[in-house]
Amino acid sequence: MLQCIFFLSDAGEVMLEKQMTGHHVDRSICSWFWDYVLSQGGDPSMFLCRVADVLTDYLGGLNEDVIKDNFVIVYELLDEMMDNGVPLTTEPNILREMLAPPNIVSKMLSVVTGKNSNVSTKLPDATASSIPWRKINTKHSSNEVYVNLVEEMDAIFNRDGILVKCEIYGEVQVNSHLPGLPDLTLSFSNPSILNDVRFHPCVRFRPWEADQILSFVPPDGEFRLMSYRVKKLKSTPIYVKPHLTSNAGHSRISVLVGIHNDPGKTIDSITVQFQLPLCVSSANFTPNHGTVNILADKTCCWSIGQVPKGKSPSLSGNLVLEADLEKLHVFPVFRVGFRIMGVASSGLQIHRLDVKNTPSEPYKGFRALTRSGEYEVRS
Amino acid sequence: MFHQFSATAESLSKASSLVLRIGTDAHLYDDPDDVSIGPLLESRFDSEKVDALKRLLALLAQGSDVSQFFPQVVKNVASQSLELKKLVYLYLLHYAEKRQNEALLSINCFQKDLSDTNPLVRAWALRTMAGIRLHAVAPLVLRAITKCARDPSAYVRKCAAYALPKLYDLHHDEDNSSFEELVDILLNDHSPGVVGAAAAAFKSVCPSSLFLIAKSFRRLCEILPDVEEWGQIVLIEILLRYIIARHGIVKESIMFSLSTMSTTPVADGFPTFSGTSGSCQTLVGTTCDVNMITLMCKSYIDGQIECFAQTGCSNSSDDKLDLSLTSSTNDDVVMLLRCTSPLLWSHNSAVVLAAAGVHWIMAPRENIERIIKPLLFILRSCQASKYVILCNLLVFAKAVPPFFSQYYEDFFVCSYDTYQIRALKLEILSIIATESSIPIILQEFQDYVKDPDRRFVADTVAAIGLCAQRLPMVASACLEGLLAITFYESSLSSSSQIDGEAGVLVQAIMSIKAIIKQNPDSYDRVIVQLACNLDRIKIPAARALVIWIIGEYSVIGQIIPKVVPSILNYLAWSFTSEEPDTKLQILNTAAKVLLCAQGADSLAFRKILSYFIELAKYDINYDVRDRAHFIFKFMPHSLMTSSEKDNNSDISQNGRMHHEPGGKILNGKMHSSISSTKSSRIYLPGSLSQIVLHAASGYEPLPKPCSLLNTDLTAGVVNETNDSDISSGSSIEESGSVYDSDHSSISSDDGNESSWLDEEPGVSSIQTSQQASSGRISINNLNLLVEIFFENCSSEPIKNIALKDGESSSSVESSDQVLGESESLLRTANVPPVLSTEEIASLDPGQRVKKLIEIRFPHHLLPLKLVVTCNGKKFSTKLWPDIGYFLKPLSMNTSAFIDHERQLPGMFEYSKRCTFKDHIEKIAPVKDDSSIHSDKIILLSQILTSKVLSNCNVSLVCADIPVSFNIDDASGLCLRFSGELLSNSKPCLISILVEGKFSEPFVLTVKINCEETVFGLNLLNRVAAFLQ
Repeated sequence: MLQCIFFLSDAGEVMLEKQMTGHHVDRSICSWFWDYVLSQGGDPSMFLCRVADVLTDYLGGLNEDVIKDNFVIVYELLDEMMDNGVPLTTEPNILREMLAPPNIVSKMLSVVTGKNSNVSTKLPDATASSIPWRKINTKHSSNEVYVNLVEEMDAIFNRDGILVKCEIYGEVQVNSHLPGLPDLTLSFSNPSILNDVRFHPCVRFRPWEADQILSFVPPDGEFRLMSYRVKKLKSTPIYVKPHLTSNAGHSRISVLVGIHNDPGKTIDSITVQFQLPLCVSSANFTPNHGTVNILADKTCCWSIGQVPKGKSPSLSGNLVLEADLEKLHVFPVFRVGFRIMGVASSGLQIHRLDVKNTPSEPYKGFRALTRSGEYEVRS
Repeated sequence: MFHQFSATAESLSKASSLVLRIGTDAHLYDDPDDVSIGPLLESRFDSEKVDALKRLLALLAQGSDVSQFFPQVVKNVASQSLELKKLVYLYLLHYAEKRQNEALLSINCFQKDLSDTNPLVRAWALRTMAGIRLHAVAPLVLRAITKCARDPSAYVRKCAAYALPKLYDLHHDEDNSSFEELVDILLNDHSPGVVGAAAAAFKSVCPSSLFLIAKSFRRLCEILPDVEEWGQIVLIEILLRYIIARHGIVKESIMFSLSTMSTTPVADGFPTFSGTSGSCQTLVGTTCDVNMITLMCKSYIDGQIECFAQTGCSNSSDDKLDLSLTSSTNDDVVMLLRCTSPLLWSHNSAVVLAAAGVHWIMAPRENIERIIKPLLFILRSCQASKYVILCNLLVFAKAVPPFFSQYYEDFFVCSYDTYQIRALKLEILSIIATESSIPIILQEFQDYVKDPDRRFVADTVAAIGLCAQRLPMVASACLEGLLAITFYESSLSSSSQIDGEAGVLVQAIMSIKAIIKQNPDSYDRVIVQLACNLDRIKIPAARALVIWIIGEYSVIGQIIPKVVPSILNYLAWSFTSEEPDTKLQILNTAAKVLLCAQGADSLAFRKILSYFIELAKYDINYDVRDRAHFIFKFMPHSLMTSSEKDNNSDISQNGRMHHEPGGKILNGKMHSSISSTKSSRIYLPGSLSQIVLHAASGYEPLPKPCSLLNTDLTAGVVNETNDSDISSGSSIEESGSVYDSDHSSISSDDGNESSWLDEEPGVSSIQTSQQASSGRISINNLNLLVEIFFENCSSEPIKNIALKDGESSSSVESSDQVLGESESLLRTANVPPVLSTEEIASLDPGQRVKKLIEIRFPHHLLPLKLVVTCNGKKFSTKLWPDIGYFLKPLSMNTSAFIDHERQLPGMFEYSKRCTFKDHIEKIAPVKDDSSIHSDKIILLSQILTSKVLSNCNVSLVCADIPVSFNIDDASGLCLRFSGELLSNSKPCLISILVEGKFSEPFVLTVKINCEETVFGLNLLNRVAAFLQ
């Protein structure tokens, strides 16, 4: 049970407080929290994660300004989401109907007319239905459904350059704009590769247990139908080879990046990020492609973009160690970012999507995307 | 000119920044009070009121106190605009408790809204009404909830369920039957959303009334997948508790496997990994840690405190567990497991964890493995929840490592993990490593050692040590690696002192020490290697460790005895430059070496030790000096030269006697049982307590197996009303101490009452007396049963005697209008103050009739007005409440009392002096008797205590009896009583300090600490009055 929620700004000042129960919690607790808890890191409440998700969804971001600008909506949302510190309504579709999210039209309207009410005057019907995630009578001019495979690749290369672990964490995202109460069935050609799965509440368990078929009545709009994991992959699309040498107070660093197994589509937004050890007092880098930024906390970001034809990007640089150190004894970890459009690296394939219970055959679209997740190369 | 220009530029830039924020409430947050809010609230237009309320909310968000607008805001409750209503409710909920009287004004509107046609309005009204926490309206809220629990809209019913805990929070002592009834109705709702909310209500209102679950268990299981995710978590927990209480532990489950194991002698205290035949073989041929699981099982069921008391004496509890078994084929168990298993696929990590918890506790051993993969998968979902899941996984992994051994890859540390997560992963990795996976894990550890986070590196080194201890086959490989780290680190730390490096080095040597300890004989080369590199190791703690190792194993193998003399020589050379820690260890080592030495060496060692002792005796550090004296005293024999020995052979006899203790102390093997208390604390999986490692408030261990008896069930199932009667009966019993029939508790009322009756002319014929036999107490309002005797003392019969509520006929005399309104509300909407009155048809002369009436006091000061009618005439009368019974005993110890007292200083503390004479006649005869020498002070305390206890419903905390030479002096006697207010459970402390002598009247100082000032002052007067 939550007693209260405080929103703190980046500076640790209280932006908003919402007391949940009769036992008021003084806001002075926040300074303690700021000093001790945040320095330790970690937030154990799964419900708070959900609150943050919903707020982000509503406000299109979650930061100090956004919360201050929309504090009334934040208050109203919190009040709908929690009652007496217990979750009340967390289903985004219902919340959206109860409280209209701020959008450009309502903003303009409020400027022109001076009036703006985002509070719905009636209770969403879905609260009473057995499928609370869907409005009862959805009407759409469009009749379409998109299925999107978004995969994140987690990989660890050890200090010898050997692939220790490589797995895909993927999500099946569906964006549905279907009228009425459609019933969808989605099947994969190779469901056996899926190691672990989790489903949106709309997915019926029985068909999955029996035939590994996803059968569901979708919520309206965008949602995460399923997440899955494919483990023990053998290859990664790109390689990053860092090399550090050091002696007599001077160290050299060189990083090579290249394409390993061409996925057939372009790999873009390639970045390599690493944090220089504390004992490095200064560094300079020269990339042969892309740009390097060194941030205040000694984090270096090398943005490469796409790998150019006929040239493999490399970065070389000198590190100057602190005066009394002879050689480097700690080595940074290189985090790699990339994105491949149109490819699901796990190899998961959608077999077919059937839509029943709609007046006309809807348009169906499929897309795939692979991007890096926790992809790191140790040096 | 320029000025003008700059001004426009400024406003332009302001305007451009405003464009982005246009249409939002940004300006309200930035300047909430740029216009005066008061007039806005009074505006005729809803939009302006909305604007004003948004400003108030902004101020509230920024932490200012805007409660002064409360009266104006409350008026807007009646508004028809939903947006305005919502904002008003938000404001109201924040301040209602502070401004109780004004908040009462809104109740009428809520009442009206509760019958609105819009379900949203009904729900909001109910939520807000229950949320404003006014004791006066608690009965109204209960009625509202009862009504809403049968509302056609599921959303409203759901809100009714959520309102129950709020009301319960306000209304602790009310007998639970009405709550249970409501929970029961809501649990049986057909809408899954309502059931989820009802489960939450069940958990906070009547968590132990598991019989409510009995009749609908199967339906609840079936509805479980459709319940909202947050409701699922609670419902799963309730169903699990029900099964345990109803059927006990499943015979085939992990929980039980252990308790049987611990009775078999083979497994007793055996840290199993080797999988011997007798230790616990699960069906898959895997082994598990018996001690761990036994501990786990007990902590789940008994809770933490009992668990500590019981560890070690497992037999008694085993017997108890044996009684309460069920098999995994039990229908209910199968049902629960079947319905929770799809939830392992839930996208809410908390639900997965809860479902996994049920399987962990209830499922047969061979089926538990299915929870492992979902649990590992949720590790990837959200960074924030990683820590929670790892904490729970750690317990599972400790209990049954083999389940996790093939998934070691999931615990590999990556650079995105925080330090706490890394530490947990390392701990799990070192537990689940097997002979097949250890090479890969060690390879991984080697990478970690180069990590920039040195704290993490130190943990890694410790983990390597643990792995080596668990898997002897890799011990030598680990040792090599650790030695390499040691030498590398020691070379590093010589060149620079970097934070954390020392920790790594010390941890490396600790790990080496632990590995050597397992099999010292085979590692003599390692010890020599360490010893030879002693001069490179600079960190004092690390040096001390190495020196300890040398001393401990000085006689092992062939090589060590040969190098020991040179090491001691080296230490003798370096002794003066060492740190105190190292010096202490050098002294110990030298003494130990000497004790173990034989033959020729001993002479040299003796010299070295004497040298050390000489140096240490004049050391600057007193610990070192003490140690030197200690060793010198205990080992005089060893330290004596042989020539001295010959001279004093008798002393040498004594010396031999001393030799023994010296050896015992220094060479004795300490069996350190350092099992960190942290790791032995186990709470239910998925609970907050498991994360913070102490029992968080609200944490309940599982119920005792089979504690739910069948009779309970039938009572609950067959006849519900009957059951509610039973529970209300018990509550009367509980509060029975309040009105002990022996006490003349209401006799003060009685006195008042008879006096007014006597004064009435013409009613002299009626005599009333009353005896309270039992009372029923509701918070804030006192419901009691009063026995009234009507006796006709006149010579004529009296007809149609009735007792009525006086206020319904007479006008409400109340200066405070708000209060008056609330009271009249109470009248109309709720039970009248006099609950049951039956007319007495006629009363003959001399006849006596007993009547029971149930009355309810509206306030602790206001009398209850009654009207007696007889023979068509009305006689108004009053019944005064006794303030002492608006309390209930609160037991606490002295320190808690003093703590509370300290928390209630200043305006919450008031005292009064009075004189006390009762003792003079009571104690005097005892004194005369003098055959028994009785303590007068104790007698006095008894008198005072019984006086207080018979007039106030409090409990005695302690009596401080002064120590004085003067037997006649009682000054300093202090009695402390504690109670809590019925209305809001706030503590109320009474202390009575006695001054004076037995021969004279005492001067008593009565002091009361209470947050409710008005109540406290009245109570003070009352206490002073009855003491005098």
